[in-house]
Amino acid sequence: MAGDRLHLGRSFFFIAGTVGLMRLPDRLSRLHALTKADNVGLGLLVLGLLLEGPGLLNGIKLVLIWLFVLAASATGAHLIAKRALRGDGEDDR
Amino acid sequence: MGLSFIAVPLGDFRLDVTRSKPTVGAVLLRLGLFAATWLVTAGTDPTSWLIGAPAVIAATWSSLHLSRRAGGSPRPLAALAFVPFFLWQSLRGAFDVAWRVMWPRMHIAPGLHSYRLRLANASARVLLLDTLSLLPGTLSADLRGDILTVHALDASDGALLDADIAQLEQRIGALFGERLVSVLDQ
Repeated sequence: MAGDRLHLGRSFFFIAGTVGLMRLPDRLSRLHALTKADNVGLGLLVLGLLLEGPGLLNGIKLVLIWLFVLAASATGAHLIAKRALRGDGEDDR
Repeated sequence: MGLSFIAVPLGDFRLDVTRSKPTVGAVLLRLGLFAATWLVTAGTDPTSWLIGAPAVIAATWSSLHLSRRAGGSPRPLAALAFVPFFLWQSLRGAFDVAWRVMWPRMHIAPGLHSYRLRLANASARVLLLDTLSLLPGTLSADLRGDILTVHALDASDGALLDADIAQLEQRIGALFGERLVSVLDQ
């Protein structure tokens, strides 16, 4: 089933994101794992649900949720990084 | 367009008065779009509008307010061509970070890298910042004036980073119909 494979892929990216969060050495590097891996994980989850769930409205809703999370996490990561660089200097260079 | 459209310094937005008051059409279009978005995400339960109505009005107000200072919308056809590029690159970005952290010894050399932005359009800059964070290895960390600070998981090759960012900048510039001076011409 295509849906099962998508869910497998989703789990892989969510696990990779979490491994990155735990292993990466500093605040800014951890943001990479959270933005990139988790966004694709959520994308695959949405794709899998699109295959399972019926209805056009449901589909639009799922895609909208993914787009909102993409925009929010990329913007949030930028704000956290900016704060880290300008703020206490703990992560400076 | 080009570089004649320089972003207005903060606190001095009086310079940007070329745009007139929002038209009724612009208000109605936004109200309609945001109401439709609410309807799709929250469902048809009428009581949801207790929160939905204020949210739609607030979104319309902020959108009008912010668009006065933004640099317009992307060209529709170019935006459509951007979608597959974006999806492919974010998949590459996710694989890249997964690959780096899954090794017993992580393949990273994190560091900061500065880049002078040539994009002037305010909307295009926001899109660049957000897209860059989802692409392989880069995270837009700060922007002061024209200087973009990028955090990279592998910052050992500055020239490679420059080339990657310039390529994305070119693409997003084209999306907004802004032509950039080539790096080689500078």
